[in-house]
Amino acid sequence: MVRFKSRYLLCELCVSEPSSLHLFEDKVVYQALRGAVNRAHGDYGAAIFNITLGVLVKYLNAHTGVVLIRCRKAHYRLVWSSLPFITFLENRGQKVRCFFNCIHVGGTIRTSQKFLIKYNRQQLQRMLLDCKTDAEKQDVRKAILSCSLNLIKGEETDGSDDDGDEEDT
Amino acid sequence: MPGAKERMREKKMKNQPRSVQYSSRGQGSQASGWVRGHQAEGHRYSQDLPKHITASFFAGARAAEVSVMLKAVSKPTGSCQVFTALPKHMRRRAMSHNTHRLPLRLRDAALRLAERSQRGPEKPPQAKSRSRRARRRHTHLLLEFNRRQRRSRWLETHIWHAKRFHMQNSWSYRLPHTPTAKSYRASYRAMDTHTLLQDLSYFCCLELQGPEEQILRALSQLTSKQTGPTFAASVCLSGARVGRLLLYRAGQYPHGALGPVEFLWRPRAPECTHRQLWIWIHPALKQDVLPELQAVCQCCESVCEVSASSSAAAVDELRNRKRKCTADAAELPAKRLLGDGTRAVGDPVRWESADTHITISDLTMEIVRFRLIGPLAHLVLTDTLHAANEEALRGVCVDADLHQQQRDVFTQLRGVCSTAELPAGCVLGLTVSDPRLTLPQRRGKTVPDLQHISTESSHARDLTLRGVPAHCSQSALWDTSVRDHVTDSRLSEQELNRVRSDVLVPGSAVCVSGVCAVPLLLLHQPGRVCGQERLRWGSGWDLLLPKGWAMAFWVPLVYRGVRVGGLHMSVKHAQFMAQPHFPHDYPDCPAGERCQSEQEAELLEKFKRRPPSKRTNYVKHGCVAPFRCPWQQLVDEWAELVELGGETQSRAGPVQFTVLRSVSVLRQLSAWCSSASAVTPAAAAALHQEQQGALLWVRLRLLGKGRPELHAAVCDSSVCVRVRAAPLSSSDTNAGV
Repeated sequence: MVRFKSRYLLCELCVSEPSSLHLFEDKVVYQALRGAVNRAHGDYGAAIFNITLGVLVKYLNAHTGVVLIRCRKAHYRLVWSSLPFITFLENRGQKVRCFFNCIHVGGTIRTSQKFLIKYNRQQLQRMLLDCKTDAEKQDVRKAILSCSLNLIKGEETDGSDDDGDEEDT
Repeated sequence: MPGAKERMREKKMKNQPRSVQYSSRGQGSQASGWVRGHQAEGHRYSQDLPKHITASFFAGARAAEVSVMLKAVSKPTGSCQVFTALPKHMRRRAMSHNTHRLPLRLRDAALRLAERSQRGPEKPPQAKSRSRRARRRHTHLLLEFNRRQRRSRWLETHIWHAKRFHMQNSWSYRLPHTPTAKSYRASYRAMDTHTLLQDLSYFCCLELQGPEEQILRALSQLTSKQTGPTFAASVCLSGARVGRLLLYRAGQYPHGALGPVEFLWRPRAPECTHRQLWIWIHPALKQDVLPELQAVCQCCESVCEVSASSSAAAVDELRNRKRKCTADAAELPAKRLLGDGTRAVGDPVRWESADTHITISDLTMEIVRFRLIGPLAHLVLTDTLHAANEEALRGVCVDADLHQQQRDVFTQLRGVCSTAELPAGCVLGLTVSDPRLTLPQRRGKTVPDLQHISTESSHARDLTLRGVPAHCSQSALWDTSVRDHVTDSRLSEQELNRVRSDVLVPGSAVCVSGVCAVPLLLLHQPGRVCGQERLRWGSGWDLLLPKGWAMAFWVPLVYRGVRVGGLHMSVKHAQFMAQPHFPHDYPDCPAGERCQSEQEAELLEKFKRRPPSKRTNYVKHGCVAPFRCPWQQLVDEWAELVELGGETQSRAGPVQFTVLRSVSVLRQLSAWCSSASAVTPAAAAALHQEQQGALLWVRLRLLGKGRPELHAAVCDSSVCVRVRAAPLSSSDTNAGV
């Protein structure tokens, strides 16, 4: 009864031109990661992708550029170290320059999700400060409002860890 | 179908978000509902992003993500409410099955949960299938049979055939093909010396009613005098003879051949121009002939009979005494389908024309047709059928004198030596009693009674010389009301058996009072009419009955020692009679083309099923078309050859091939073939010019050993130069008999 422990790397994809976001696909990210690990760590790195519960792209959000990568606990440092070596993503012949920015390492998906919630909220607040026009400010305020209230319908959740932070906007 | 594991997994993962991406169309948007709900701008996931990604876009995306994550985080996976309602320090290991470990307020809910999981998933209530005995009760079997008939119609004798024959689906009927017992030679011997019986009820009958000149005028467009006698042939017009001719499309002779038909006029009623004509067509022809007939007679308006007794499906009521008291109104007794059961009730059956006053009725499956082939067919008939006595005639409107005359002719028939002696196509109407009443106890074989034949010679000679007198062809079968009445008044097998069991001496004749007689028609078939050898081989009688009576006549006939044949035997019968068999040997008719393409597909399938090393190498043998006869190609190539020979002028474009059926031309050609007169090149050229693209149906006799395969090619040798004039092509399987 040995438990397979894994680590979840929460990364952010930063792109120079935001208009090329449509390239992002989990297969594309996976292939790029595989190539990078192969180049950086050779055969041992390549073999990581072939074992059970190896590397897998669990979640990808093309709008915000959030990627959640799962890997074994024994090899997460290896994968983490080869993330800076990914300079571009290629999809059907089109290349996009990007870089991976790892923001969190978690032991479970749930912890990564919790972190992501906090992180996004922080980003929204920072965006509010950076806003130049009034219309943008309005939009951002609306967005913050929408995510801070509990919009989960149905049964009320008891003892949920993350209550909506009431922040003054 | 998702298994239990997948369902559990789905339940656990339903709160987890799925990746949001652009690439696959529609996949991103169907992932989770939050996309559509909370996007600030409400943009669609299309391939092209908005031109300028603004902060608001990112804000919206981030906010959406946050809410999704919140939902995923706050709802624990795969947990039920009862156990998550408890704080963590009060949860116990065994609380799922030991509800005492839960606080009181949650105990009921937990109990209910445990009960539900114990019960298992709810299955839809299954209808319990009945026991085998209940399923095989008569009513349920009838319903089952009615249901099965929807795709291919059953003949009335279907069950009898199904037990003894290999059946096949042709022309939307389920027809017997070959017997399961090995009986090819026995069937041939029966056709040659005794009798062969076939059920031909699948032939469609079309009835035309109206004034005589109108009918003749309309039908003259469909036939041509050059192919032989038409509908107006004087012998057939009086109703004394059955006629046979070939139908063409309106005004398109010699092209547009449709196929052979048989026709019968009803004998003239005194001082009446209203006539009835029955046309019997092969079911493969029906879809071609019926629109042509309608067009020619200008019958466009269909008459829909929406009465309780619609002719589409007559009802044979089940007289089940046991069920009478227990039958509820909701459950209707099963009714045996008679007639054309697959036709919807609203389908038009009759078409009327206002101008020509002609009515066309479709009598498919209304009349049962049995064919008896062989020299002793008339004996079998005289054994089986007994003319009805006077009191039974009351239900059937038949004149008593006429009945007496018909009866006399029928008894004279016994004195005839062989069926072939009678003139071709004579018609005898008759009214007989139920043949089941005189069913012998054991099966026997009818043998000719030589003593009887010698005493009856003078009357029989009259019959053979002049045939049946014209007025004896009248029968009550022509009236629809009489047919329906007779069908309804048939004794069911159950009642008959009950009466039989009451008879004192088993096996003696059963007398049942108040039974209606059955009107029927006997049509003589001539057999082989052309050629010099074995003339009149394969002659026989056709028996026409009202529907519902097929089995009542079939079993007594079988008990007289006849062999029964299927479709295979009818092909062989046509072959031995030196006549083309419809639809195989009619390549220019649309039904013949369809038959050929079906046959080709079948043969190709069979060919492909064999492994490549075991297949016949047709390329090596030089066969152009081993699965079909490419007539059009042959005709075109012959025409080219003749042109190259420079004898004829160039003709205008490709000619559609036709089969030459003009009687005069055929006579001339046969005279040339038998070298009675010499062929001059000029005559040959003239004939060729006249008949372009014509094919001839010929019969080959092999001088040596061997048998040509199906679709074998016959090549022209240099000896037969004179046949170059008109392109001859041989039909294949007619090796000499």
